[in-house]
Amino acid sequence: MVEPLLKVEGVRAYYKLGRVFVRAVDGVSFEVNEGEVLGVVGESGCGKSTLSNVLMMNLRKPLVLVEGRVLFKMGNGFLEISSLGREEVKKRLWGKEMAVIPQSAMNALMPTIKVRKYVEHLAESHNIPKEEILEKIRIRFQEVGLDPVWLERYPFEFSGGMRQRAVIAIATLLNPQLLIADEPTSALDVVNQKIFLKVLMQMKKRGIVKSIVFITHDIATLRQMADRMVVMYAGKVVEVSPLEEMLRKPLHPYTKGLLDSVLTPEPEVKDRGITTIPGAPPNLIDPPTGCRFHPRCTYAMKVCREKEPALVEVEKGRKVACFLFTEEIA
Amino acid sequence: MASKQMLRYLFRRFLFLFVTYVVATTVVFLLPRVIPGNPLSQLLSNLSMVAQANPEAIRAAERALMEEFGLGKPWYVQYVEFISKALRGDLGTSITFYPRKVLDLIVPVLPWTLVLLLPATLVAWILGNTLGAQAAYRRNTWVDKGVLTTSLVVSQIPYYWLGMIFIFLFGVRLKLLPTQGAYSQGVIPSLTFSFFVDVLRHYILPFLSIVVSAMGGWAIGMRLMVIYELGSDYVLFSETLGVSDKRIFKYVFRNSLLPQITGLALSLGSILGGALITEIVFNYPGTGYLLFRALTTLDYPMIQGIFVILIASVYLANFLVDFIYAVIDPRIRIGQEA
Repeated sequence: MVEPLLKVEGVRAYYKLGRVFVRAVDGVSFEVNEGEVLGVVGESGCGKSTLSNVLMMNLRKPLVLVEGRVLFKMGNGFLEISSLGREEVKKRLWGKEMAVIPQSAMNALMPTIKVRKYVEHLAESHNIPKEEILEKIRIRFQEVGLDPVWLERYPFEFSGGMRQRAVIAIATLLNPQLLIADEPTSALDVVNQKIFLKVLMQMKKRGIVKSIVFITHDIATLRQMADRMVVMYAGKVVEVSPLEEMLRKPLHPYTKGLLDSVLTPEPEVKDRGITTIPGAPPNLIDPPTGCRFHPRCTYAMKVCREKEPALVEVEKGRKVACFLFTEEIA
Repeated sequence: MASKQMLRYLFRRFLFLFVTYVVATTVVFLLPRVIPGNPLSQLLSNLSMVAQANPEAIRAAERALMEEFGLGKPWYVQYVEFISKALRGDLGTSITFYPRKVLDLIVPVLPWTLVLLLPATLVAWILGNTLGAQAAYRRNTWVDKGVLTTSLVVSQIPYYWLGMIFIFLFGVRLKLLPTQGAYSQGVIPSLTFSFFVDVLRHYILPFLSIVVSAMGGWAIGMRLMVIYELGSDYVLFSETLGVSDKRIFKYVFRNSLLPQITGLALSLGSILGGALITEIVFNYPGTGYLLFRALTTLDYPMIQGIFVILIASVYLANFLVDFIYAVIDPRIRIGQEA
């Protein structure tokens, strides 16, 4: 029986810029289950990074939560973290229950102190004895393939791949249940990407973290590790599906477009060739009416321009928001 | 190997400083000579009053003085003499305060300038940076708006005007503090408590006018640096790890301070030149005031002398900045070793 670790219910999170709103996350619901790697995929500008901030309730002006709830499993029940203030969530959850591997892990470490010092400061903020955490970081450094002598170095002395691994080691130091990786591989070369993903999966296998939310625009990376996929387009979730089934038979035309634009050496891709989705994601201040994808969709019908499709379960464990599948139901 | 490289680096640096120093002193030598006017005129008119205006005697005195200061020789001969003497530590004789030596005139005023400007510069730097950082940290609150507006206004106020306002308010109107000098007229400097209090009372207004006018600039610069640092990746990552706000603020403060230290070192280097206008407004016996007297009377040797010392101290500060930076910023220290 799969249990959810984090539940997102009807969340709308907008950037309030003067009088207009940027609807970066607009009515999104899904769950992150215990023990799974959930991939979140979409083009740049689809609200993926905003979503990662929403999952942590890391909301800072001008980003505001307009509607919806975020619930995190604590003990036997769920804590409604969306009803707490940012400071409160930070104090109770960040670092301990949930942690982030940021988009630019390259510069994520405090540059003018040694890594050991930084780890000590982290312990101090969480009221953990120094010796205990230093012992832990030494082991964790070895687990990610870094010699503990590097603790006595400054971050700028590390290579890019080493920095990324140091960031994983530090982010997982307090054994958070949920790890959110926000485009962590985009700055790495292919070899280091591979090492990074391996280290990340080991963290899960060893039970150091329970679940991982992996946010990326790179489907090729996700297919190596994700269990389930959430496809985002223009602030909306358009498809939720187990990875294998989605790869075999994508439902939403956007998902199909994304998969068709991926460069992989597999024969069926070679035969088919690479196609791209024409156009670009819409302006989120004034998104298109109806289905937000309809201006770029080759299957667009009259109804797509007028009504907004709901996210509906069409097969077991598969949800899609598209009138091609739900018209008869609706 | 490393020390050999270091030596070569130091040698190059010294060579560069030496060349620029020669250029700077040349400019200082040439510029006053381009200003129209006769440096001897004041001295001669004083003389004529004493000597009961005997034209022959005055002309003879002028010739003697021309000889004495070497002003009759071609400029390049004067230049070589000036440089070779200066290298031997002889800055020549003042024209205005003839026959006193330039060095003997500068040395007694240096402590007054240092005592005024060293603490004022440091206090302005510390206060300005603290205020700026606090403002950035509480961005868009009334603290920030208050600090920013005040800093912008204050940093645009000409400091001599601020000095005059202070004199008018505290000296003339409220009669709380003396309006001019470094100590009361007629008092002989001594190491007594009453003299100390007297100096302190004269000190407050020029000190405050410098601190207040310099503070705003530091605050504005620091505020911007801190705002930039607050958005940097290491801050965002530290937040998501639950690192305390206090600690993050310390990180940001430390990293924002690095460029401010360069600025401080450079302003410390230039303090030997005195606060020209502040010293004039308060009639304060510092290098600035001396330079003002030298400029108005075209006292070539004195102008040169002050600038030779001033430029040297600025260069020294520049040189020290490199080392200070290497000590406080590991990125530079270790980068150089590698």
